[in-house]
Amino acid sequence: MRKSSRLLACMLLSLALGAPLLAARAEDKAATYTAAQLTGLLKDVDERQRNQGDFRSEAYIEQKEKGKVAVVYDALVYRRSADQRFIILFTKPKSSQGQGYLRVDKNLWFYDPGVGKWERRTERERIGGTNSRRSDFDESRLAEEYVPELVAQEKLGVYNTLVLKLNGKPGLDLAFPVIKLWLDKETNNVLKREEYALSGRLLRTSYYPKWKKVFSESKGADVWYPEEFRFYDEVEKENSTLVLIKNVDLHALEANLFTKAWLESKSR
Amino acid sequence: MSALIADLRISFMNLVEHGRRSTFLGAAIASVTCLFVLLTALSSGIRHTLLDTATTLTTGHLNVGGFFKVTSGAAGPLVTDYARIEELVRKDLPELDFIVHRGRGFGKLISDRGSTQAGISGVDIVNEPRLRTVLDVFEGNLDELAQPNTIVLFEQQAKRLDVKVGDAITISATTGRGVANTLDCRVVALARDVGLLSSFNVIVSAESLRILYQLRPDVTGVIQVYVKPRFVEKLAPVAAHLREILEKGGYRLMEPDPRAFWFKFQTVSREDWTGQKLDVTSWEDELSFIMWTYRALQALSFILMVILIGIMVAGIMNTLWIAIRERTREIGTLRAIGMQKFGVARLFLLEASMLGVIGALVGVALGAVVTWLINSANIHVPTSVQLFLMRDTLRLWLEPATLVFSVVMISFVTGAAAIYPSIRAASRKPVDAMAHFG
Repeated sequence: MRKSSRLLACMLLSLALGAPLLAARAEDKAATYTAAQLTGLLKDVDERQRNQGDFRSEAYIEQKEKGKVAVVYDALVYRRSADQRFIILFTKPKSSQGQGYLRVDKNLWFYDPGVGKWERRTERERIGGTNSRRSDFDESRLAEEYVPELVAQEKLGVYNTLVLKLNGKPGLDLAFPVIKLWLDKETNNVLKREEYALSGRLLRTSYYPKWKKVFSESKGADVWYPEEFRFYDEVEKENSTLVLIKNVDLHALEANLFTKAWLESKSR
Repeated sequence: MSALIADLRISFMNLVEHGRRSTFLGAAIASVTCLFVLLTALSSGIRHTLLDTATTLTTGHLNVGGFFKVTSGAAGPLVTDYARIEELVRKDLPELDFIVHRGRGFGKLISDRGSTQAGISGVDIVNEPRLRTVLDVFEGNLDELAQPNTIVLFEQQAKRLDVKVGDAITISATTGRGVANTLDCRVVALARDVGLLSSFNVIVSAESLRILYQLRPDVTGVIQVYVKPRFVEKLAPVAAHLREILEKGGYRLMEPDPRAFWFKFQTVSREDWTGQKLDVTSWEDELSFIMWTYRALQALSFILMVILIGIMVAGIMNTLWIAIRERTREIGTLRAIGMQKFGVARLFLLEASMLGVIGALVGVALGAVVTWLINSANIHVPTSVQLFLMRDTLRLWLEPATLVFSVVMISFVTGAAAIYPSIRAASRKPVDAMAHFG
């Protein structure tokens, strides 16, 4: 009797331990993605964020660095999908008021009203010296620049995620040759992103905990945007940047907005 | 001739007779001369230190650098196919002594406990014997710089990063094509600071820089050209010749711009061209951001010397007026026994000039002794001063030409200051002069 009950207990234990394993294997099998599917997935990530029109928002940027006082900026972000033009205009603090970035014809310019000069900056410019970059505020173009590869499916907090490794397409000059993305399986929103140097070293980890959507008339569908993103410097471990996006407006902007003259006029 | 000797004797005896006055005036002249010698020695010291250290650490006497632009907006401080340029220079530049080539970069140095931005020089230590004479390595071994992934830091940087020999440092930089890259390096040596140059420069092995910036073997940052010693002070014509050689060799050259290469990024990025353009600069161009301190010191010394010489001239004239007033009856007697006006004026001029020469000689000797004492004492200067002196101790540099110039200049000024009082003394009527009671 004692022997048979022990056997039953073993069988039950085996079932209890083995069932999730079998279920996970079954899920893995069901969730095998082809290269085309993964590219489609990446296109969807871009598409969900693309407005196909104009975009205006307010941004709060906070940079914390080891041994330094935190730097805080308020800025206005303007984008136009048609010709990939882009503006960041700083409104606070007073010392940075009127400074701004303008992207025209794939050239990024920086204007400082203090000196009244335009300087050409690289596309990899750190915005206001923080750990946020121009591309963080611009439209997502991952599918144009990277080839995805599925590396894992795992839980990230309460979310079920797909972990994609993105390898830069040959011939393109990309700031980060390798990126890892954690995509929410349900929504295809990016929840986490890791950026790697050419040497393979992890440089920056970003988290996108809050996503919001807003209806776009120009697109005729919803546009998703991260309301908050947090960047953690993985080389200088104690440096981090917080960006909050507020008051997104997708209505058409003035035709002459994306010009040097417009940005200069804002500091007069 | 004998009259001149007689006048010289009289002048000398007059100086001796009015010993106290002569001593005071002579001491003033000697002090001004000594100060002039010291200021010139300080200025020369800085220039020599700059020339010695900078032309070994960061620049050649002349440099063939420039930019390579993949797109019109992305410029890298690179020289492609440098072996061909070296060959051209070796063949056609007779003033050439030797050539070294260095990698140029800029990145962030990150240790476990700190970070700093720095210019990065990629050095092939085996082919750079001069570097050892300038770098004062106090910890570690410079020879290890021959291995890849190695770095040499200066004292101040090591303190900022809180690292010592053997510790690891990560260099984070962006390649010429705009791709983020990192390199883990081991600190192999620590060197003493050499002023401003060491505060923003680190040295890595040439191979490390190549890995970090993903450079091809035929690419370097700059070709540093060292000329034979006799051409060091006459670089402008050599630079013009070098430009000609490169133009004839089919290279596109940038317009001459007397600034360090890293000041030119903005200008170059704005220009609408791609490919390679070479730039010829001198060591003074590459150090233009430091040279202003040297020039400011020179200007300040000049102003100070003009003021001091002005005071000295006023003193000489005043003293001569007193002497002339005291010796008016003597002038009258000399004129009465037949001495011409010119002879009287010459007597006073000789007296002043003799005092000037003696004072200047004493001043120069004093200046030389003080210079020697200062150099021997190895006086440590504060960090803020080190930045501009380019070394941690005060070093003065005396050149024979400076000593000769000081004696000639001070004697001439003293003589010139005496002309007017001497003419006035000689122009008095003998009767009036003899009747004078002073």
